Amino acid sequence: MLEINSVSKSFGGFQALDHTNFSVNNGEIHALLGENGAGKSTLMNIVCGLYSPDSGSVKVNQKPVTFKGPQDAATEGIGMVHQHFKLVASFSVIENIMLFFNPKKSFGKSKDFVINKAKSLANDLGFAINLEIRAGDLSIADQQKVEILKVLIAGAKVIILDEPTAVLSEDESDNLMTLIKKLADAGTAIVLVTHKIREALDHCDRITVMRAGKKVHEVLPKDVDETSLTKLIVGEEIISTTEYSTNISETPLIQFKDISVSDDRGRSGLSKISFDVFGGEIYGIAGVGGNGQSELADLIMGLKNPFEGKITITDVGNVTLDNARKRRKDGVYSIPVDRYLHGLAGKQSVLDNYSIAAVIRGELGSWFNFNKKLAKSKVNEALIDFDVQGVNNINQRASLLSGGNAQKLVIAREFSGKLKIILAHSPSRGLDVRAGAAVHARLRKARNSGAAVILISEDLDEILLMSDRIGVINRGEIAAEFVAPASRSAIGQAMVSNA
Amino acid sequence: MPDKKLEKTDPLFSNGLNLNPEKREFQFVPRLEVRQNSPEWLRLVIYALSLLVGCVSAIIVMSWAGVKPDDLIQEISALLFSGTRTIASILAQTAPLVIAGLATAAAFRANFWNVGLEGQMILGTIFASFIAIYDVGPDSIRLLLMALAAMLGGIIWIAPAGFLKLKLGINEVITTLLLNYVAFNLLLHLLFGPWKDPVSGFPHSAQFDQVERLPHLGWENLTYTLPLALLLVLVTWWFFTFSRAGYLINFVKSNPNMAKAVGVPVLGLSITAIIMSGAIGGLTGFAIASGIEFRMTRDFFSGFLFSGVLIAFLGRNHPIGVAVVALFMAMLVLLGQSLQVFYQVPFALIQLIQAIFIICVAASEFFLTYRMHWRK
Repeated sequence: MLEINSVSKSFGGFQALDHTNFSVNNGEIHALLGENGAGKSTLMNIVCGLYSPDSGSVKVNQKPVTFKGPQDAATEGIGMVHQHFKLVASFSVIENIMLFFNPKKSFGKSKDFVINKAKSLANDLGFAINLEIRAGDLSIADQQKVEILKVLIAGAKVIILDEPTAVLSEDESDNLMTLIKKLADAGTAIVLVTHKIREALDHCDRITVMRAGKKVHEVLPKDVDETSLTKLIVGEEIISTTEYSTNISETPLIQFKDISVSDDRGRSGLSKISFDVFGGEIYGIAGVGGNGQSELADLIMGLKNPFEGKITITDVGNVTLDNARKRRKDGVYSIPVDRYLHGLAGKQSVLDNYSIAAVIRGELGSWFNFNKKLAKSKVNEALIDFDVQGVNNINQRASLLSGGNAQKLVIAREFSGKLKIILAHSPSRGLDVRAGAAVHARLRKARNSGAAVILISEDLDEILLMSDRIGVINRGEIAAEFVAPASRSAIGQAMVSNA
Repeated sequence: MPDKKLEKTDPLFSNGLNLNPEKREFQFVPRLEVRQNSPEWLRLVIYALSLLVGCVSAIIVMSWAGVKPDDLIQEISALLFSGTRTIASILAQTAPLVIAGLATAAAFRANFWNVGLEGQMILGTIFASFIAIYDVGPDSIRLLLMALAAMLGGIIWIAPAGFLKLKLGINEVITTLLLNYVAFNLLLHLLFGPWKDPVSGFPHSAQFDQVERLPHLGWENLTYTLPLALLLVLVTWWFFTFSRAGYLINFVKSNPNMAKAVGVPVLGLSITAIIMSGAIGGLTGFAIASGIEFRMTRDFFSGFLFSGVLIAFLGRNHPIGVAVVALFMAMLVLLGQSLQVFYQVPFALIQLIQAIFIICVAASEFFLTYRMHWRK
């Protein structure tokens, strides 16, 4: 159905793709694996018409095609569901679909046409989405369904999904995989770009592995297992083992007592949540997404204040109503869940994004003068120390970094001060195996130096791998606490119980 | 499935690109890609090219209007090389434009779209004129008092818009713009009422005394308006480029959420930038009233709002950039005046030339963001 032959692409001297081949057949689910920066996204952006290749050819149904833009690709039946959804939040679902696909009819008629089509498709696939609701009011999983609906209505024969499960909970991921299977059975060719090895092994028909812009392997899931596939991806073996703390402090570093917070829409986000975190431990907070994790993260960062309850930090005292600035002064640093919302200013340079924490602490020059020379030497040290790749020039925009490197930059900055309390909210989301392992190693290092680490993650594997103690958050409360090693099924039970 | 044939041949379906594959090779439609990086030298090259395109278009338009290219070049060289008098008049024209550009840029730096410069100028001038008309304070510090009063007036006029924006999220474009009209009618009230010139009876204030005017520099007819402008350039340059607050304000503009999360005092910095903008806006009025007109007139402010936004935009909100663009704009104005006088070129055409330059520079941003492929 889709065939890519010997495609190359470079960006200002950087060879993103080097004579890469790739193909996908009707009714096939083809996984595309590789580390951050291996060239997966560039390859798929070429397929969907966003980039044009320097050399090589793209064929659809054995016919060579040249795309001038995404519209061309859509006409050839190629649809892409991007990692960051491209929906207009203030438009209704149906308007979003019409923005993408517009049958040449009068407005009223085409709206009816699209509505009917969307309804019948949604019915076939088992979606329950209100088509008149604003896209911004949908959950992430539903937004993704709208994206899929969008490309299907436009007549996509090949659907490319870029890390579709990165933002989904386990249940939602399973549902999505069932849906994808259904589409493939109906004859659609599916390309699944992913970091999750299990996903590729369990659900795909063929696996292509890319490394440094080249296709290095094409294997069938039955021929490999998790370990050997990881090895193919990173070129070496990364073994993840648990390693528990040995020096937990006597008294807690931070205490939360009966905290209640309302969410953005005024509903209850956290209700009377209480837990303590000790120095030298990683406290994992497990839970299904949307059970108060983001409110808890905002609370810890000082972006949100509770309407009842008390937060105490050792050596500081009552910090319940402090803002983010004060919180950081008290030694609470964080790796936020959305790097580009709370972690980095994409338009600012790598240098500025790194230096800002130290500038606020008053370490880089005085009020009158920002000491750029000192900042430069510091950032260069940190980039090496934290292995941030892809920085050609420290004055380049931070938004040009790939996901893994952007995350490393955030961590480098957050770890540049004295570590006391660290919040890590889904710190390895969207990262490849190697980068994820590096992040985990950093968190462990911080813990071993005596810091209290709060790890919020919807990925139970990550929680089990990292935590010394685990609290399960359910409907804005800590439903149960476990001391590692804990039973996976018991935690899972507490995550979904309705008590 | 929709009718695919229909879509392929319908040019509307694809933003005007003909998707018919057989015809594609005859087209010269570039393919666009987002640039991964745009280095500083490229920025300068593209800016220079855009100015060149602007010059060429201006020459074409002018020769169409009856000014031959060699006449135009002669006019420009007359403006630049015919002695100190014309240079001085360019600089005199530049000074208030620089201050207006700085006032606007200061607010833009913190994402506050202040389009109330004229209102702030009017209030600044009213406050300064109050000091002058009622002879407040001793003669020796009268000018200083007038400058401070002007700043206060500007701040008072930007404050409500700032408060509404920061506290209630009300769009500052609307509030600052509308406050211009309030200020203008207040000005008319004063000039037709209590502050009408008692000597001539015309609707402008009485002339300022000698101690209430910015003194002459002693070179040509330049006053201290120019050093005032330069001082403000230096102060704002230091503030935005070297000081800690200036460094942090960049984050307030580019990602306020992140800025807040890492502990930048977003509210305080926004207030600082807004106050700064209002104060410099008030000073713009003071510089004109006390340095050029020597009284408060009915229309001393007109056109400065537009010029200020333009200069700030073209100078990329950078104080040095603002100064350079203001100088360029002043030359365009003077060139336009002599063309009007000697070649009977209508004023509209001068504005048209200005607009051409602005479009060229604005368009250059596109080439910095995207890279084009002309190959098939």
